[in-house]
Amino acid sequence: MGENVIRVCPGTVRVDGPGQWGRLAEEGPDTALDTAERLETKSFLKALSEGSGVSGYEGPIGAMVAEAFRPFVDEVRFDKLGNCIGLRRGEKPKDGPPVKVMLAGHMDEIGLIVTKVEERGFLRFTDVGGVDQRTLPAQEVVVHGRKDLPGVIGVKPPHLVSPDEAAKALKKEDLYIDLGLTGAEAKKLVNVGDLITLRRDFTELKNGLVAGKAFDDRAGVAVIYEALLQLEKLHHTADVYAVATVQEETGLRGAITSAYGVVPDLGVAIDVSFGDQPGVPEHQTAPLDKGPGVAVGGNIHPKVYEALTRIAGEQGISLQIEASPGATGTDAWAMQVSRAGVPTGLIGIPLRSMHTSVETLAMGDIKKAGRLLALFIASVDRAFVEGLRW
Amino acid sequence: MKELIKRLVETYGPSGSEDQIRKAILEEVRPYVDEARVDPLGNLIAVKHAAKGNGGKKIMLAGHMDEIGVMVTHIDEKGFLRFGGIGGISPQILLGERVVFADGTVGIVGVERLDDPKDLRFDKLFIDIGAKDKAQAEKAVGIGWSAGYYRTFDDLGDRLVSKAMDDRIGCAVMIQAAKELKKTPNEVYFVFTVQEEVGLRGARTSAFAVDPDIGIAIDVTRTGDTPKGLPMAVELGGGAAIKVKDSSLVAHPKVKDLMAEVARTDKIPYQFEVLEAGGTDAGAIHLTKAGVPSGTISIPTRYIHTPSEVVDYGDVQACVRLLKGIVGRPIGL
Repeated sequence: MGENVIRVCPGTVRVDGPGQWGRLAEEGPDTALDTAERLETKSFLKALSEGSGVSGYEGPIGAMVAEAFRPFVDEVRFDKLGNCIGLRRGEKPKDGPPVKVMLAGHMDEIGLIVTKVEERGFLRFTDVGGVDQRTLPAQEVVVHGRKDLPGVIGVKPPHLVSPDEAAKALKKEDLYIDLGLTGAEAKKLVNVGDLITLRRDFTELKNGLVAGKAFDDRAGVAVIYEALLQLEKLHHTADVYAVATVQEETGLRGAITSAYGVVPDLGVAIDVSFGDQPGVPEHQTAPLDKGPGVAVGGNIHPKVYEALTRIAGEQGISLQIEASPGATGTDAWAMQVSRAGVPTGLIGIPLRSMHTSVETLAMGDIKKAGRLLALFIASVDRAFVEGLRW
Repeated sequence: MKELIKRLVETYGPSGSEDQIRKAILEEVRPYVDEARVDPLGNLIAVKHAAKGNGGKKIMLAGHMDEIGVMVTHIDEKGFLRFGGIGGISPQILLGERVVFADGTVGIVGVERLDDPKDLRFDKLFIDIGAKDKAQAEKAVGIGWSAGYYRTFDDLGDRLVSKAMDDRIGCAVMIQAAKELKKTPNEVYFVFTVQEEVGLRGARTSAFAVDPDIGIAIDVTRTGDTPKGLPMAVELGGGAAIKVKDSSLVAHPKVKDLMAEVARTDKIPYQFEVLEAGGTDAGAIHLTKAGVPSGTISIPTRYIHTPSEVVDYGDVQACVRLLKGIVGRPIGL
């Protein structure tokens, strides 16, 4: 999730009982790979979270995503900025060309970048995409120099800190990275402009909660993956463009170019939203494990919102309503104004401690979001898209 | 090359009023390109064709012609002009400056009496063009007229100073590269853009029309080498700066690496640049259509957006060689 915030209003969705959606109930034979061969969604999220791909440098994550998508799509390609685009074709529709649905989850993560290699070998840095500098002291990092180098972000011992300094939060200008290298060694291996990722193991907490870095927004990529898994069991005529976008954190940039290239009939972004946690007002957050958030507001086409919430109700998928009065700060914002305009929806996974290395979410929310997305895609046809016209 | 730089920096051309500078650049670049045209927003697009006609890349180079300035918003009874800024111009730096309008009319920036220097804002400033009253002022200038800094070029030896080095120095680098580039395997579009200072607008539309394979902006960047300045690794005299990142762009890793490789091969001094605030035309180019791999060659510059922007002549020449080295070779991305 980028700079702008989604405001969340807790709400309930009216459940009208099973609807008239025969198509949805009519699940096809399970032609998917054996469960054993499938990468389980949690394992995929773990691999993504522990991988490295700061905005603009998503190469390794992109390769990982392409491999994971490949069994469930007809083709995978990368566009010129590095967006990973998987195309899963639908069954041939009776009424003309297939509808194109674009799913966007951003695979870039916030990180750091070297601004100076000092004489004694310490590195100075600034952030890429909005790392919370209060959370940086004493972190472990990987510096992507001529080779990957382990490092730590050093802090002055408290014994040597004046009372004045102790009262203030450290700024990134006060911090440095220690690689254990001498000045000469550091200058040989590291350049100004080399990228740095935080190092953090994926951790399973209790009650299906997991913690790690870069869930913003590799959780969204995991939701897309889960949706692809679920689509194996459903009939759908829409062509699905599963896009893991680049450079969202530096300005929704990958969504701008990938939406231009895909030319979708409608788009759904999957990003994270604020989960409940101490110190944050209830009206700005959503509880974890109560289902994904579905956004409503100017960035969202009302009928896409309506379809998502209706299907959730019919299928008994719990969800939460996120009221987003203005810019959502997500790829949905960029997709909406691509070319002559794209009707857009937005699903948010509630996330605690956003933009830190201990982002926390519930796996259950990812599963539910993936299922909701798959059911929604299965419901989309030419008539639905025509109905989106004003 | 100093004569070329002098001519470009001294020519008038705030954002949206690029007629005079476009005419000057067209005269300078025309002999070295195969064709030149002006697009609907006023971008000057000059093309040098590939020597063999095929196989090369379509490369868009962008240097912006416009400069920051001010615009008249009101003329009072006594003939004083009130104004707003065009682009990132600051009231602190305007105080006591002279500005010049398209027709050569010169004005002095004066200030109301201030109780505290911190109160200095645009609405406390006015321009005095020497008019006795409103009628006389209105004969000379009108609402909506634009003015730029009124300053000349000075050659300090190794270092050069003037207003509007941002980004006429980039334009000069492009013209010089076009001049020295005898043959190229690529289709090279030398685009002199409008309205960069008000939001990369000329680059946006020109890139859409050119539809390049690769985009390269040539623009100025800050340095970190002045007393108690903001820390930054770039320094004057340190060579051509190859951008890694700024607010508008994360340079495409392959474009960035290509630039560094050319610099190393041709033994051109270079430095990597991470700019924490600010952007260039490459920010607009790389988001064009389905995406354009892009980067920026930066000319290290002190005191950017003041009337006295300083560059190092050695750095300027390094940028010319680097640009020539990049577009003059076959490129595989």
